[in-house]
Amino acid sequence: MEIELISFGRISEFIPNQKIQINGIETTSGLQNYLEKTFPQLAGMKYKLALNKNLVQQESEIRNGDSIAIMPPFSGG
Amino acid sequence: MSEKKIKNIFVEGPIAPDFISTSISKHSTKTNIGGHSIFLGQVRADEIDGKLVSAIDYTAFEDVALKQMDEIREAVFAKYPLTCMHVYQSLGLVKAGEICLFVFTSSAHRKPAIDACEEVVERLKAELPIWGKEVFEDGTHQWKENK
Repeated sequence: MEIELISFGRISEFIPNQKIQINGIETTSGLQNYLEKTFPQLAGMKYKLALNKNLVQQESEIRNGDSIAIMPPFSGG
Repeated sequence: MSEKKIKNIFVEGPIAPDFISTSISKHSTKTNIGGHSIFLGQVRADEIDGKLVSAIDYTAFEDVALKQMDEIREAVFAKYPLTCMHVYQSLGLVKAGEICLFVFTSSAHRKPAIDACEEVVERLKAELPIWGKEVFEDGTHQWKENK
């Protein structure tokens, strides 16, 4: 299936916004493992995911066409 | 129930002092107000490894930030007897010395206005997906971290 990755802050410097094909990944934690393997810089960082513009608070299912945002710690204000 | 409109908080570039004073003067007709509390965030020219921060470039995941701000607004209104609340956050480039955040709460008496203002500032910094890129005078940058 195809999902869309959107990244912010320092993460946007090494993970550009893109559509990726993933197979055999069905949950947000599975995706997290995949992302940390594909983009090793992410592994040592603090970050949060948003699935279809909702902050991921617990393991969630991923479906074809979903958008996933990868967000480093916030620094507004 | 009708869908209510989510308020925008984002302003492109710095928040002008004129905008702030106009916002204050708009409250003169609301004579049930007895106290305002205002927080203004200003871009600090931090020195890091001998280099000065000349500006902060703000980006946000806007839809998510506005939804989150709406939840904060509801929670703060439920907790404190406020007359009104206004929140503005800059996006894009804000130079050192310029205003990047304006939080304005009003109430019949001072205490709720002061407490609500502080709570909104703290929650906004912790919970809204906004990022500041500190740009140095030589064009290099680092990503801001909130303390």
